[in-house]
Amino acid sequence: MDTKIKVKEILASLLKVKIEELKDDISLQGSIGVDSTEMVESVIALEKSFGVKLNIKEITKGSTINDIANNIQSKLAQ
Amino acid sequence: MERIAITGIGVVSPSGIGKRQFWANIKNGRSFIKKITRFDASKYPAHIAGQIDDLEKYSHISERLLKKIDAFSHMALVASELALQDAGIDIKNEDPSLVGIFLGNAIGGWLYAETELRDLYLEGREGVSPYMASAWFPAAPQGQVSIYYGIKGFSKTVVSDRASSLMALGYARKVLYKNKLNMILAGGMEAPVTPYALLCCNTYGALSTHNDDPQAAYRPFDKQRSGFVIGEGAGIVVMENIQRAKKRGANILGYISGYGFSCDGIDRINPASDGKELARAINMALSDAGINPRDIDYISLDGLAVDLWDNSEINALELVFGADLKKIPVSCPKSMFGNLLGASGVLDMIIAFLSMEHNLVPPTLNLDTPVLNGINYVAKEAREYKVAKALIISRGRGGINSALVVEKP
Repeated sequence: MDTKIKVKEILASLLKVKIEELKDDISLQGSIGVDSTEMVESVIALEKSFGVKLNIKEITKGSTINDIANNIQSKLAQ
Repeated sequence: MERIAITGIGVVSPSGIGKRQFWANIKNGRSFIKKITRFDASKYPAHIAGQIDDLEKYSHISERLLKKIDAFSHMALVASELALQDAGIDIKNEDPSLVGIFLGNAIGGWLYAETELRDLYLEGREGVSPYMASAWFPAAPQGQVSIYYGIKGFSKTVVSDRASSLMALGYARKVLYKNKLNMILAGGMEAPVTPYALLCCNTYGALSTHNDDPQAAYRPFDKQRSGFVIGEGAGIVVMENIQRAKKRGANILGYISGYGFSCDGIDRINPASDGKELARAINMALSDAGINPRDIDYISLDGLAVDLWDNSEINALELVFGADLKKIPVSCPKSMFGNLLGASGVLDMIIAFLSMEHNLVPPTLNLDTPVLNGINYVAKEAREYKVAKALIISRGRGGINSALVVEKP
């Protein structure tokens, strides 16, 4: 499955928001008002799901779906 | 100190959610004590409670928020919404720096905490929800309600065992007056119907184990009393200064006019048997309200249904009211829905205001044979009676005493 689609599905399920609300190029804070604790939860869920170690400083409330998907994609390619 | 007005009531209880449903059940003396069904509690010595099963029906809280909070915060959010609706207040139109919140709680949010602690030991630290840290502690509901409504004026939680919410009301009145706030959401919430919380309550040793007949188990001041029964819920009221309430044409439901407190300081669990310190707290509340004992025409009892607690409460009343005690109707309506621990006092106050509105004193259930004669108990059925000034008593382990005087508008 496309990494971006999978990221959206994980976050939508975790944060109880509609998948359409997660815009590709708008920050998580800007699109769905994610808070810092939700970011911790999101990073843990993404790590478990993709089997990669993510840096919480790289994925922040200011990250977009594109940023997160690209970050995970680059980790998977290593 | 000045009286303050109560202009909205929000109640979430085993006897009903919303003040209409709640009062309909209270005035009819219906018991909502039953066997616990939320989890298998059958191995606990006491496994009956006042349990709420239909909170979701009354809730507008998003799933996104619900997964971050414990049941006691959910109850507080629903009770706050009901109180604001009742007061006719849209908080978006308020100056947030002049709105406060003052709640009471005894034991925290254990449904959330238990689940996450289990995951900690089964899965390690990564198995624990990051919301755990902000979900379980006693001040969590205060935080959630203040975030939900953008409250910025004052925010505080009182943790003082079963006396928590009555103390919160007493202090909220002081803060409203001193800090010149426009309004405060005040009250308390408790959610003890969880496996670990129930275990702790059982360990305390004061719960009734009359599991076979739940509705007859909680019998304050009765010869066959055998301890109390826990209940869950929340009671939150809107407090306003009287001038502002009148200016905006609010329906004033009653006034809080006096508050008193003391502690026995003799034992980590038990109260003093003589009731002298409780009497001092009551006198302090009466003096604060500027009234005499004979002005009181309804007393809401703490009523733990434990010999030492009940007897010392009556001792205190005899010290304060003397021969006049015989004339004043007294009752312990929590016998219908359980003792809400840190939220018990505010529910007693809400009942007192509803009693004033309807000229009806609710009954103490199961009070078939009073231990002491000569007390004007309202037992079994509600009694028609005009209540203008009421005294609410709420006590906690270790001999915490609090007393509140409320008045009809």
